[in-house]
Amino acid sequence: MAEAIMGFTIFKSHIHNSSCLHARRSEVKQSSRLPNQHSTSTLFNGSHKVKEGKFKRASLCKVNGLPDWPLMAVIVEQMEGQRDLITIKSVGHLSDEAIKNVYSWYIMFTVWGCLFYGSMKDPYYDSETYRGDGGDGTGNWIYEKQDAMEAEAREALWREELIEEIELKVGGLKELEEAGKKEEVVK
Amino acid sequence: MASTTTTYHLVPNPNHLVLTNPLSNHVSFLRKQKNNVSHITNLKKKNPWLDPFDDGEDPEMEYGSLFVDGKQEEDPRLPDDPNNRFGFLKFPAGYSVELASLPLKVRGDVRNCCCVVSGGVYENLLFFPIIQLLKDRYPGVKIDIVASPRGKQTYEMNKNVRYATAYDPDDELPEPAEYTDMVGLLKNRYYDMVLSTKLAGLGHAAFLFMTTARDRVSYVYPNVNAAGAGLLLSETFIPDTLNLSEGGYNMYHQMAEWLGKPFRDVPRHIVSPLRVSLSRKVKEVVKEKYTKAGAEKGKYVVIHGIESDSKASMQSRGDLDSLLPIQVWAEIAYTIREFTPVFVIPHEKERENVQEYLEDASIVFITTPGQLAALINDSAGVIATNTVAIQLANAREKPSIALFSSEEKAEKFVPEAEEKKCIVIPSKTGKLIDIDVEAVKNAVETFNVSLAFV
Repeated sequence: MAEAIMGFTIFKSHIHNSSCLHARRSEVKQSSRLPNQHSTSTLFNGSHKVKEGKFKRASLCKVNGLPDWPLMAVIVEQMEGQRDLITIKSVGHLSDEAIKNVYSWYIMFTVWGCLFYGSMKDPYYDSETYRGDGGDGTGNWIYEKQDAMEAEAREALWREELIEEIELKVGGLKELEEAGKKEEVVK
Repeated sequence: MASTTTTYHLVPNPNHLVLTNPLSNHVSFLRKQKNNVSHITNLKKKNPWLDPFDDGEDPEMEYGSLFVDGKQEEDPRLPDDPNNRFGFLKFPAGYSVELASLPLKVRGDVRNCCCVVSGGVYENLLFFPIIQLLKDRYPGVKIDIVASPRGKQTYEMNKNVRYATAYDPDDELPEPAEYTDMVGLLKNRYYDMVLSTKLAGLGHAAFLFMTTARDRVSYVYPNVNAAGAGLLLSETFIPDTLNLSEGGYNMYHQMAEWLGKPFRDVPRHIVSPLRVSLSRKVKEVVKEKYTKAGAEKGKYVVIHGIESDSKASMQSRGDLDSLLPIQVWAEIAYTIREFTPVFVIPHEKERENVQEYLEDASIVFITTPGQLAALINDSAGVIATNTVAIQLANAREKPSIALFSSEEKAEKFVPEAEEKKCIVIPSKTGKLIDIDVEAVKNAVETFNVSLAFV
């Protein structure tokens, strides 16, 4: 086991990135003497210092296909007479910002979900106050029909009165006519 | 004093002025009749802030031959084009829809009118003659009402009104949402004229101004509270007192006078007496009610004005001492023999009180003025204090006995009582409770006799 521990090497996930591979190895070799310092300085920082001017540009425009999860360790167990047993250990660690994003999404979904799914079974939308005035469920709109109904009632009243007036007039005319006829008969 | 003499005109002959300049100047006719003064000095000052370029009517303008004169047409709809399959209106040559409001303004036509009526049922009922006047003066006008929820119920009886909207203009501090909603509503209806009977200060004037109506006509406070209101209104009336309702039956006389003013070829319009119309439905409902209470059509007398803390007591704001306790009513009711007295209660809790004094009394629970009018319409007569019932009885030409707290009040609220078949009994002390019950009983006797003959 001691051998295995001695074989600890700290890597970045860029290890797969062939263009940076050499630079990384040289760096790692330099710093492997002081593993503690190294881990604190570059393990979780995401970015690393590149000292060689030659690779400055390459590291500036590097593209990560995979998320920037730091690879913690590669354990190589060497057993005699057998092939090496290689275990790659990595830490799936989210940054503060990512954690914040996840939680805010969670809260937003919860609030929206409470409102949305809660309103699906709201008795208000099936009540008389909502449906009574003609809300047909197509939009959240309440149509006021009371005013129109009252106006119609008043119009009907106006017509009624008009008919009454006309009847009165017609009645008067008929009476006049009848009186005229009677007079003729008398004559 | 010097400033007033410069702005007011001293006119030796008022007729001369009326002929030359009937629009911008306004002569108070009532004052002229009363005082009989040759020098009329109470000409209304024109507000130069409203239109600095308004120099009055062109005296050389000829109406009648070149321009349309007289009242507006009842149906301004242009004729349909029979050849057009969409039924578009055929616009006459030179008629531009975009400018339609301009000739309306020049002619003084009013197509849409809004009346903001302050007060309760009584004030709204007395506004009916004004509505009739509007309808007569501007044929085909669509009249909408904005009144308090209680007052709005009155318009069940008015056939001349289109929309009645419930919004309390007397509310000192309306809910902002409600207020803006109402402003938007009124603005969207594009009124030509807005009449208001609320005494306007700057606030109410701003409300009326925001409706963007062409003519904004309102009563204003008779004191300093009216400051600034005149800027936003095109015509203002100053009431006699702070409480408009104290004017009684003719409480809106300034407005009536202005609305009925002669205009070019249109002569002065006189206010017609109060009339109400009743729909068949209401009549049926009320008939069911009073038959259930044990009264027959034409054989009962309506008693209205029982003291109660209900809001439906239908008294005027100008006469708050106008309800009698049930004891007094019971005394009066004993003397009615040939007819069934029907007590109108404004709240169900009053039923017990009435039954306490009169066990087998016919009691009808009525809160809306429309139903009360229907009840009165089917009755033989009305005995009431100064409530809407008296006005309704006069409107339906039913004989009535009116109990008033004082003679002045009686004169104001029921002028020309004899013509209206109304017997007025005022209290001598100025308090309604001290009313002479004997006198009322005597009146009821004569009432019995007169009704029996009828």
